[in-house]
Amino acid sequence: MQFQRIDYKDVETLKKFLNPHGKIMSRRRTQLSAVNQRALAEAIKRARFMALLPYIVR
Amino acid sequence: MAEAAQGQEPSSQAQGSKTPVYEVGFHIVPTIGEEQIGGVVEKIRAALGESEIIKDQFPSKIVLTYTIERSNQGKREKYHEAYFGWIKFAAERENIPAIEQAIRGMREVLRYILVETVREDVASPRRAIFTSDRLEGQTLKKPTSTPETAAPAGVSEEELDKSIEALVQ
Repeated sequence: MQFQRIDYKDVETLKKFLNPHGKIMSRRRTQLSAVNQRALAEAIKRARFMALLPYIVR
Repeated sequence: MAEAAQGQEPSSQAQGSKTPVYEVGFHIVPTIGEEQIGGVVEKIRAALGESEIIKDQFPSKIVLTYTIERSNQGKREKYHEAYFGWIKFAAERENIPAIEQAIRGMREVLRYILVETVREDVASPRRAIFTSDRLEGQTLKKPTSTPETAAPAGVSEEELDKSIEALVQ
């Protein structure tokens, strides 16, 4: 998947990398490079902090 | 003169690119009226001081994905929604702690995040990739068949009858 610079406000893109429980998908699943996976994880964590994404979905 | 102006431009750009770019995202409490949001944004802008504002988004009401709680004068306040906005700015590194402290002190700001970013828009708009060379948005039209009325017009009925008879025989 082509991965451009990711932003914590781009919630719709970030949601694609979460599983139904709201957990970040593994790198094996996302097929991202290590650098991009780290950027993704950071963006998701920022979005969670700002309550734009949930920490957990029950 | 034009040369001098051209000569100055890259140096100013280089200076601008040297200054680190930050972005502050913030939630404003929904209890304040919509007309007061502009005032809060102005307060945040004032907290940024001399920083160069690159881009911003005026706060709009969003539903939070979880309830944010905070204690205000011994009372617990719960918020399910907030006005979310952000400001991208360029500032010197040494000014950041003061900016952060100023924003933290605002009671109207429910939560904020201060991150280092880049001057350009980070999320580039996604566009569909067209493999053909036709213009984007152009509707393909079904090729219309040319009417073959020209040929029958040149043949008279008599000739047609003769040719049919010849075929039958």
